[in-house]
Amino acid sequence: MPRVRVGPADEIQPGQPAFVTHGEIEIAVFRVDDGFRAYRNRCPHQQGPVCTGPVSGTLVATAETDWRLAWVLEGRVLICPWHSMEFDLDSGRRLRAQSERLRAFPVDVNNGEVFVQIGPRDSSAPRRPSV
Amino acid sequence: MTRDSRKPLGLDDVFIVDCDVHANEPPEALAPYIDMPWRRSLELLGRGPQRYLDIPGYAPILNLDPPFPDRGLGNRTVTTARQMRDDLDELSIDVGILFPDNLLKIAVFPHVDYAAALGRAYNAWLADAWVSRETGLYGAVLAVPQDPKDAADQIRTYGADDRFVAVYLPVAGLRPLWGDRMYDPIYEAAEEMGLPVMLHSVGIIHPHFPFNLEHVESRIVRHPINHEFALMANLFTMLTSGVPVRYPDLEIVFTEGGVSWVPFCMWRMDKEYAEIPTGAPFLERPPSDYIKEMYFCTQPIEEPERSRDLLTMIDLFDGRDKVIFASDWPHHDFDHPRTVLNMPFDAELKRNIMGESARRLFKLPVPVPVA
Ligand code: FES
Repeated sequence: MPRVRVGPADEIQPGQPAFVTHGEIEIAVFRVDDGFRAYRNRCPHQQGPVCTGPVSGTLVATAETDWRLAWVLEGRVLICPWHSMEFDLDSGRRLRAQSERLRAFPVDVNNGEVFVQIGPRDSSAPRRPSV
Repeated sequence: MTRDSRKPLGLDDVFIVDCDVHANEPPEALAPYIDMPWRRSLELLGRGPQRYLDIPGYAPILNLDPPFPDRGLGNRTVTTARQMRDDLDELSIDVGILFPDNLLKIAVFPHVDYAAALGRAYNAWLADAWVSRETGLYGAVLAVPQDPKDAADQIRTYGADDRFVAVYLPVAGLRPLWGDRMYDPIYEAAEEMGLPVMLHSVGIIHPHFPFNLEHVESRIVRHPINHEFALMANLFTMLTSGVPVRYPDLEIVFTEGGVSWVPFCMWRMDKEYAEIPTGAPFLERPPSDYIKEMYFCTQPIEEPERSRDLLTMIDLFDGRDKVIFASDWPHHDFDHPRTVLNMPFDAELKRNIMGESARRLFKLPVPVPVA
């Protein structure tokens, strides 16, 4: 499984992913809370450059918020620049449509350097059927 | 064309006509094409702050929403023909039919002379700086509803230019709706020049039905009402005033509504017509017969969980040769052509939807076969 160097860990800041390309696959590495997450820069919707979108939060109203609007997950929601679908940067799953998710890659840090491992597609990750 | 017929069609295997792309026309761009005193008006507007498709006196929208964090909703613009050609190349689109950006809201202006002058300026600007057969960028003549006679003159002027292939009928904030007899000169001219009319709406808040949505909190409620409901309302009035009967050679195209509202309109109008035929005295056949002869652009294409349901939907209105691709580039809800191409349609239907039906409709030159 190829292991691709991304760059120094301290250069990847929240909301500012680092991009690497391996063959035809472009991957973005995000800093999220306790570590790093790597996702393919291709949206499961219409294949837009999802990882170039802003990192933000989202608005919810649930029983836990007593049905009041609450701004949550600030810094953890990736918004696709094409049609604004929202993805949880921690899990790669689309918010409120959990069966759709970004293609994820394992990340490791060695001596302050970030690496991603490019493996075969994780077959457990469903994609939108029609596109 | 040499390609493995067992392989699914790719974007480069089909001729793609995009029936709805948007040219951005800031006020200062149209200023050189408009008469006084409006030239001075546009120069002044051009110096002021300009929000995206939201310019009082030029692109009035009555935006009551605060900006939402990090959701720009893709405020992209295309400001030159060169940029449009490059963008469409990137999307594998061969031909684009141009619509305006700001002037999508032209129907709301109460000042008839200003509206008509804006329409003339836009058409002249398109002719001067945008449309060309070489680049595959074609124009839709803007027909200003406030001045149907002037609009008819514009249709006859630009309809003689083979770089214009349609007439754009603005829908947002329109009153009266497009079935009104006051618009007859526009239909007469379009039919005479052999140009399809294309209805296109946009999101606005306005006192006129069905845009009086100032009380509606959510944009996802306003957006389909602004588009599909507005198209439905106009379609109904066009049927009841007999537009397709009185102008039998006129082709009618609906943009930016997707396709799933069409069967509802057919069956609902047939039901009404059966009960109250005097409500549509011009019609010689049930309303659905006429609707089946109209064209519907794909965008925003429905993306049902079972994508084959879309084919069922198209068959409900016999639409295999009446559904035509549109992307709505560069707007926030644009569809990439592969989204439509990858639907579970057979190759012939894909070719028709992606470009062949539109090529026939707009009488576009036969493309050089893709190698
Ligand atoms: S391509 Fe990402 S939201 Fe549509």
